[in-house]
Amino acid sequence: MMKSQEQWLNKMAKEGWRLIQTGKLSYDFEPCEPGAYVYRLEFVAQKSWNESKKYQIFFEEMGYKVWTKNINLNWSMGKIRWRPYGEGAGQISTNPGSYNKELLIVEKEDDGQPFELHTANADKAKYYGYMRNVWLGEAGTFLLLSVVFGILAKNTVVGSICLILAVVMAVVVLIFQKQIKKYNDDSKIEE
Amino acid sequence: MRDNVKGGALTEVSFFVLLATWEPRHGYGIMQFIESETNGRLRLGAGTLYGAIASLEKKGWIAQVESAQDKKLYQITKEGEKVAEAEKERLRSVIASAERIMEGLCVNTDTFGE
Repeated sequence: MMKSQEQWLNKMAKEGWRLIQTGKLSYDFEPCEPGAYVYRLEFVAQKSWNESKKYQIFFEEMGYKVWTKNINLNWSMGKIRWRPYGEGAGQISTNPGSYNKELLIVEKEDDGQPFELHTANADKAKYYGYMRNVWLGEAGTFLLLSVVFGILAKNTVVGSICLILAVVMAVVVLIFQKQIKKYNDDSKIEE
Repeated sequence: MRDNVKGGALTEVSFFVLLATWEPRHGYGIMQFIESETNGRLRLGAGTLYGAIASLEKKGWIAQVESAQDKKLYQITKEGEKVAEAEKERLRSVIASAERIMEGLCVNTDTFGE
């Protein structure tokens, strides 16, 4: 989901379109030299608003351009949301604040060198761990919903749908887990 | 063998950040320093560098210093210098072992060949 967004932005840039603005459902582009810029998406929903802002400033000091973007992980419509996967103050998300700014889009002028935000095995494992925890939380939520609907409310259709979603999300968790294990194992031998 | 039970080996990233901040540098400067010092072998992602700086700052081995520009400047602390010194000694002894064993083996094969 994030990967495809990233690939799409990079494809746009290759075709001569540079990102100038992001909205909740939109991206605005302007013409640019084809291939002049490269993009990376960074998941920051586990960070508090303050931490995320500091992170963003650090990237900007690196000479990168940064935008925030929402990720479609919010099932509630309220203005405050609890994120069980957050770190410290990052657990509470408010709007305005970190809500709907779960992703950073990072743009760098393409200098022909590889552009990765995470380059050490231990750091990669930690970063993927945040994303795994989000999916774990979502899988748990849907499992709970399937029990509520399917068993308590005797609505087998909704219950089954929730159960299927929970299983799909559990598969995503396992995919992340496999990747994390690989990075953790590698980090014991090589940085 | 020092106060660190685990032997206190630093990661290469941590050690290079300590070296980079021997004089005040901002994030981009640290990245550039490491890249040029390793002839481009070690190219840090900004996210990884951010994590390393944050950890070292938390340890009190580097600290932010006053900067004329807006950008944050980091410099190694006295404590950080001590840690870096210990790491240099550790690496020296690792190299000594490697040289003794690996180059020692070479000598043996040479003798064997004669």
